[in-house]
Amino acid sequence: MLPQGAELAAPARRPRVYASLALALAATLLPWADQIQWLVPDFTLMVLLYWNVRAPRLAGLGVAFSLGLITDVARGVLMGLNALAYCAATFVVLLVQRRLEGFDAPRQAFQLGPILLGKEVLVLTLGLVMGLGEADWRWLAAGLAAALLWLPLAWLMDRISGHSVAGAPKGPGIRGRA
Amino acid sequence: MSPASHAPLFVREMGLPVRFGLYVLACLFLLALDARYSALSGVRAGLNAALHPLQMGLAQPWIWLQQASGFFVTHGELTAENARLRRQQDLLRAEIQDRQALAAENDSLRTLLSLPPRPGVTPVVGEVMETMSDPFSRKVVINRGAAHGISAGWPVVDAVGLVGQVTRVFPWTAEVTLLTDRDQGAPVQNLRNGLRIIVSGQGSDALLEVRFLDMHADLKPGDLLHTSGIDGIYPAGIPVAQVVQTEPPRHTPFARALCRPLGGVGQYRHMAVLKPDPVPAPAAAKPPATLPAKAPVPARMPPAPRHAPR
Repeated sequence: MLPQGAELAAPARRPRVYASLALALAATLLPWADQIQWLVPDFTLMVLLYWNVRAPRLAGLGVAFSLGLITDVARGVLMGLNALAYCAATFVVLLVQRRLEGFDAPRQAFQLGPILLGKEVLVLTLGLVMGLGEADWRWLAAGLAAALLWLPLAWLMDRISGHSVAGAPKGPGIRGRA
Repeated sequence: MSPASHAPLFVREMGLPVRFGLYVLACLFLLALDARYSALSGVRAGLNAALHPLQMGLAQPWIWLQQASGFFVTHGELTAENARLRRQQDLLRAEIQDRQALAAENDSLRTLLSLPPRPGVTPVVGEVMETMSDPFSRKVVINRGAAHGISAGWPVVDAVGLVGQVTRVFPWTAEVTLLTDRDQGAPVQNLRNGLRIIVSGQGSDALLEVRFLDMHADLKPGDLLHTSGIDGIYPAGIPVAQVVQTEPPRHTPFARALCRPLGGVGQYRHMAVLKPDPVPAPAAAKPPATLPAKAPVPARMPPAPRHAPR
């Protein structure tokens, strides 16, 4: 009779989803120092993927596309470059969303790591194909950094969104029943 | 709680792969539109104007932090810097006097040769606000834009040499493509023998290259390259680069040379956009009109070659 997995999760609220996405976008647009720019993970994508897993009906392909276009303008690259990468990452996550939902953060990190890395590969490859110059493969480090930072980010976002971790429910409903 | 946060009871939308395909098509369409036809500059300028206040706000705490740390410098540092600047100013003053004399001499020589006067430039100093966080672009954004009279195509210099060119202008900001960008080139002249070549970026931060160099071209490591001014964009005489190494042709009929940019490309916070002064319209017609009134010197002069090696 014990409730399990995603059933426990409080439904995500629309304002929180969009506010956290805006915050992540702001974090990405911070004036990071030149020397470490290739190491800065794409916070926008990380929070987007988090909400893809938690609330796929609120943050889906359309949100990914719009965020990508804003990033393109802010970074001064060709329109559609980051939008395509975000859409692809979101698509893959939505395909396996049911599985990711039940996992805890470390396992999610293992599953999402290749996607986060794949986005950097996709951006670099697209840049090469469009003839923007030589690819600086150091930027792949941003994907690895994002995978490493998934744990603290997921923990933080769980606190913000009031999501009780699956498997370790601490809600008043359980205590009331016991 | 909004109704949209649940899955609908009856599915009435396209499947995920179809929607993804449509978005991919839209992205590819935008990419092609932007890359081939640059048809989106208006959209981009509008979105940029909306994003600009946000980016300024994000950068502000960092600027305050820098100012705060700059406040706590010691007296000794200030005195030493003051002395150094004083020496430098003396040096610069001497150089300016020399330059004025040279400019005057140049003017008189040009009058003698009946060439139109060279258009002057006015520097507009701007500050680098951010560098584009993208692995492919060597571009910076400066805090001068259309509101300050900047327009695309103008050269950008720092205290030492050429840095790049204004490529996009937004209402309050402008995007400067650095000399090291792969698509950027500058026509230059070897200071030693007047050889005219084109220096282009190669996507690396430290080096520029001369791509199609004549096999027998007289270019040696250590040569200084200044802008030649024949393209009508960069004024003549701005230091650009120093040749580091020349490579003999291997698989192509052309040699190649690597150069080190002289200006602090991607190092300085301040740079100046060179705004061309409007050329007086009758400039071409003036010298012949005034020459007969003067002494008939040109008539006696031997026909001087226009591009005589220095």
